[in-house]
Amino acid sequence: MGRKILLVEDDRETAAYLAKGLTQEGHSVEQTTNGQDGLFRATDGSFDLIILDRMLPIIDGLSVLKALRAAKIETPVLILSALASVGDRIEGLEQGSDDYLVKPFSFAELLARVNALLRRREARVNPADHRLSVGDLEIDPLSRSVRRAGKKLDLKPREYLLLEYFARNEGRVVTRTMLLEQVWDYHFDPGTNVIDVHVSRLRRKLDEGFEKPLLHTVRGAGYMLAA
Amino acid sequence: MSTTLRIALLAGLLALVSNLAVIGFIYYRTHDQAAATLRQQVIEQGKVLADVYRSGGRPALDGAIHDTMTYADPQTAVAVIGADGRQVEGNLDAVPPSLLKSREGYRNALIRLRGQTTPREAALTMHQLAGGQWLVSGRIAGEGLAIRDTLERSLLIALVFAGLLGLLCGLILAHYVGRRIGEIARVANRISARDLTQRVPVSRADDAFDRLGRQINAMLDRISTLMEELRLLTDSLAHDLRSPVSRLRSAAFAAAHATDPHEQEELFGSVIRQADSLMRILTAVLEISRSEALTGRRQFAWFDVGELADELTEMYDPLAEERAAKLVYDRPAWPVPLFGHRQLLAQAISNLVENALRYGAAGGEIWVRVEPSERNIRIEVADRGPGIPPERREEALRRFGRLDTSRSDEGAGLGLALAQAIAHLHNGRLLLENNQPGLLTVLELPVQAELPPAPAE
Repeated sequence: MGRKILLVEDDRETAAYLAKGLTQEGHSVEQTTNGQDGLFRATDGSFDLIILDRMLPIIDGLSVLKALRAAKIETPVLILSALASVGDRIEGLEQGSDDYLVKPFSFAELLARVNALLRRREARVNPADHRLSVGDLEIDPLSRSVRRAGKKLDLKPREYLLLEYFARNEGRVVTRTMLLEQVWDYHFDPGTNVIDVHVSRLRRKLDEGFEKPLLHTVRGAGYMLAA
Repeated sequence: MSTTLRIALLAGLLALVSNLAVIGFIYYRTHDQAAATLRQQVIEQGKVLADVYRSGGRPALDGAIHDTMTYADPQTAVAVIGADGRQVEGNLDAVPPSLLKSREGYRNALIRLRGQTTPREAALTMHQLAGGQWLVSGRIAGEGLAIRDTLERSLLIALVFAGLLGLLCGLILAHYVGRRIGEIARVANRISARDLTQRVPVSRADDAFDRLGRQINAMLDRISTLMEELRLLTDSLAHDLRSPVSRLRSAAFAAAHATDPHEQEELFGSVIRQADSLMRILTAVLEISRSEALTGRRQFAWFDVGELADELTEMYDPLAEERAAKLVYDRPAWPVPLFGHRQLLAQAISNLVENALRYGAAGGEIWVRVEPSERNIRIEVADRGPGIPPERREEALRRFGRLDTSRSDEGAGLGLALAQAIAHLHNGRLLLENNQPGLLTVLELPVQAELPPAPAE
């Protein structure tokens, strides 16, 4: 199911590369290269997602974002930026962006985040059923209880948060930095495999003793929870 | 108008005004109303006698002189003096010869009245009579009349001199100021011409110019240090990126030429990992520069350090376990509030913990402690590893200052440098201490730093 994505990026090479990849994923992509035009098109509100470069001609990305939010347009915004410091990222998020991706990034990382944002929008629009299930896995966010094939799993609080995040992005790739940002709320890049260790612990509790694994490693990108 | 001239004129004007004030004060204090009255009386008396002479000639004048000598008070002096200086008529005993060379009008002189032993000061008027004779009349005055008169004249002259002197002083001052500023300007000029070794000469006088000079020199020192650091950083960055970049290149080359698809996939995975580690190095370097530039202070807020350390130890606990070590943290019973950058401090603490896991995990236990005191909060990470000898600690804090170069696989030697930069951002410091045995790293931070305003964007 394709979605409408607005891509505001002044670097033509990056824009073409992203547009091609996102189109292949089945989305329809509208492109523009400056902030003014980007803001103009975004205000019509018919997009499912806006990918916004931070440094743009005429009006910079953060100002476009601020103007959109001031106009009560709540379309999810993913900021792309070459400014990589923790402070820059926090600033971007504080201005109302939904995610912040530092250049250079892999397409897999971008796609994972785009899908997560689109999914979140869907969930926001349709929150009717708050029980999550993936295959024979069942999660109740209210009581924070997890069952697999009817058997209760004993998870630590952080392991639960990790699993819930995976479940909300069922069938989509989730990267290590996404996990660190969304589950721990840290915006730096640790020099160790600390995230992998947490995921492998969760995997042990989740998949050990079951024939079919649910938590998969996606090479060169991250992880995916899928039945 | 040049600045020098303006300073000169201003100084001259100020000198004139202040001298006027002083002179006015002296005049006011010495000016005697009695002396002025006396002078008036003497002039009147002279005029009356001159009138008598004009209307009645010498006989009438002689009569008037007689009357004066008889009836007026004994301090009155009156006489007609011949052209030869001798007294023709009157009560003067001795007439100073200088008196006769003078012109008509009022003056002071020393005279001796008949019957007196010493000459005394008198206010006199002189009128020329026919035949070269002079009519002298006046009164013996109190002491100091002449001094007062001289003083008043001198004050007038002094005023003129004061104005001129002020102007002169102004010129000298302007020249001096110009010279001192010129020295600073010359240094600034040479520095704009890229010679950072220049310094403003500072005298021992410790005046405002010396202080200005010292400030400029301190600023230049700081700039040179930063430039030197930047140069070192660029050099070491170029040097340290060389090996990961060449590893990346050979991995990419091998991947491009691999024939077995499985092996190729493996090699591409390695290419991506190498690129990621390069990115990590660049991000860390950027983060250090940002922290040192203090731009992060705009995002400071209050938070509980005890909770942050709790979160982080929980996060690193599985990793420690995997490396056969144990992370020990006793969360303080009360919140430990700190005004700072939560994200960056999380990064600093995690760098210290990772450092301990990397080099001190063999020691078994790693302690994390948060110790609040009145002003400072100490965030400690201690291990039982090999530690760092005191003489190598400074090196360990430098960017790319990795001590154990044999372990090229892990870390770029930026962890401690970044933690230190983040400590500086909070007006605190990073200490490396001996855990006896092992390494004790301490982030010592003021609870709420008295921060200078963050530089504007």
